[in-house]
Amino acid sequence: MDMFELTIWKGDWGLPSVDTECLQVLVYAKFNGIPLKVNAVGNPFNSNLPTLKYNNYTFTKVKDIIEVFRENNYNTEQDLSRKECAKIMAYDVMLKEKLFPALQFVWWIDEKNVNELIRPWYCKAMPFPFNFYYPGKFERQAHVIFETLYPVEDDISIIENKVYSEAQKCLTLLSTSLGESLYFFNEKPTLLDAVIYSYLAPLLKAPLPNPALQNHLKACTNLVTFVARISEKYFSNECHEYKTKQNARNVKQYTHNEFPNKRRTQLVAGFIATLMMATYAFSNGILEVSAKDNEISDIPAEDAFTNNE
Amino acid sequence: MPYPLLADSITFELEAQEPWPQLITLYQPYEVEQILLPDNANCLAVQAFLKMCGLDFQIEPRSNAEYMSPSGRVVPFIKCGQFLVSDFDSIVTFIGNKGTSLSDHLSANCKADMRAYMSLVNNIFINAELYICWVDETTLNEVTKIRHGSVYPWPLNHYLNWQKRKEVIKKLNVLGWYNKTIEEVCKEVQNCCTALSERLEGSDYFSGEKTPNELDALVFGHIFTIITTPLPGNKLANIVQSYPLLVHLCKRIETSIFSLQAIGVK
Repeated sequence: MDMFELTIWKGDWGLPSVDTECLQVLVYAKFNGIPLKVNAVGNPFNSNLPTLKYNNYTFTKVKDIIEVFRENNYNTEQDLSRKECAKIMAYDVMLKEKLFPALQFVWWIDEKNVNELIRPWYCKAMPFPFNFYYPGKFERQAHVIFETLYPVEDDISIIENKVYSEAQKCLTLLSTSLGESLYFFNEKPTLLDAVIYSYLAPLLKAPLPNPALQNHLKACTNLVTFVARISEKYFSNECHEYKTKQNARNVKQYTHNEFPNKRRTQLVAGFIATLMMATYAFSNGILEVSAKDNEISDIPAEDAFTNNE
Repeated sequence: MPYPLLADSITFELEAQEPWPQLITLYQPYEVEQILLPDNANCLAVQAFLKMCGLDFQIEPRSNAEYMSPSGRVVPFIKCGQFLVSDFDSIVTFIGNKGTSLSDHLSANCKADMRAYMSLVNNIFINAELYICWVDETTLNEVTKIRHGSVYPWPLNHYLNWQKRKEVIKKLNVLGWYNKTIEEVCKEVQNCCTALSERLEGSDYFSGEKTPNELDALVFGHIFTIITTPLPGNKLANIVQSYPLLVHLCKRIETSIFSLQAIGVK
């Protein structure tokens, strides 16, 4: 049988991919245990991501890719009732309506996030000529989205409030809908879990400098454990790698202080500065040290000074 | 992140201060000559919702309702005391803040599902209707341009049609609908109808109870308008007609709250 070959955006922060759609496909494939050859790339040039190659055909839309999986009898929804399948569709649309704009806002509009995390990350992830073009392009696309969705609103902070408030309501709904169960349809993961994970995981895992919405998600503890459960079960490698990397970085920071032997450096610097000033003072004759003349020459000079006044 | 929620609670406080109930005025474009499919569906949904709540309202047709709307070209909008509220969802929240709600008694899980289905209806039906009206060439030339421009004098009507079409296309483009073919759009509507029909299976209303709520009002608005609006090709109407459960839901709501009109089910 032919292999499935999936090309996706590469991941970071313990995520297998940073892109929502790529995550959706990848997570769904993992739920089904599909043997995949995954190419994680940092270059969207000449292909839309995610891309599935199978039997010499190429599929780029999430819907089509999942359809291909289903045609090959990889289907987590066959045990569900039709009502539950309808629920999946409804939630998919709701997340797209409420959470997608919020993610775009967090990713490409919020200045602090863009400048400190997102743009540097994409610039580093992409190869040389592309990293000048694509981050700007993504940013412009996001701006167009908000211009179109809120045509009369000029003030970005009002838009921000609206978008975040919708997203928070949506997160709360998801939290109540999940309740105490393991997955959204009880015991087994389905497409719905893949979709929800794909929106929540990037928002939760990215070390955002402006964590406004992230904090709200963190407050929904059952969603946090839901994301952690899927991450650990299906992407334990990525999680583990990121953790060790971060630990290594922490250890490095601890031992490799920015200024080792701080006290010694300060002392040396202080000593050199004093030495320089003293040398200057002596060379210009501001200070004179002469063991013999010291007492005699100083006193008349001072006297003369006071007498003059 | 208390900010947006704080804003929400401030509006809630402000809205709750007003005396209630008050006369509600609903502004919408002229139904016979001007209104287009998506706007008509929304207006009908709001009317149905207000009637379900048992609130009195008065319909005020205005040719420039679109430009009067507080949130920019969204019709219908209601005037209630000092407040102007547009958009179905906001109106439902507004009325809810006043203490009149059709879905308060539902469990949290049911409410979450209901929100999801409302998103489904709002996205799929409205985008499909916009697509049919403004992208599909035959409908655009034979119906949309004539109706949308009917209230403006000669050179202005062409300009405003062009401007509105540009706006709609920009929106559909962002939402990923503009590049779809008409067949794909029909397929989306079909999927949506299937989902709604599955959900409704075996009960009178979407909540599974004896009384309708806002989701029923919204679905009613869209299904009824799609069935009763004659358009060239009638593609959407044909799809919707093939879901008897939805058509029956429509009839049921229609006879229970709008007693005088008759639904044109062929």
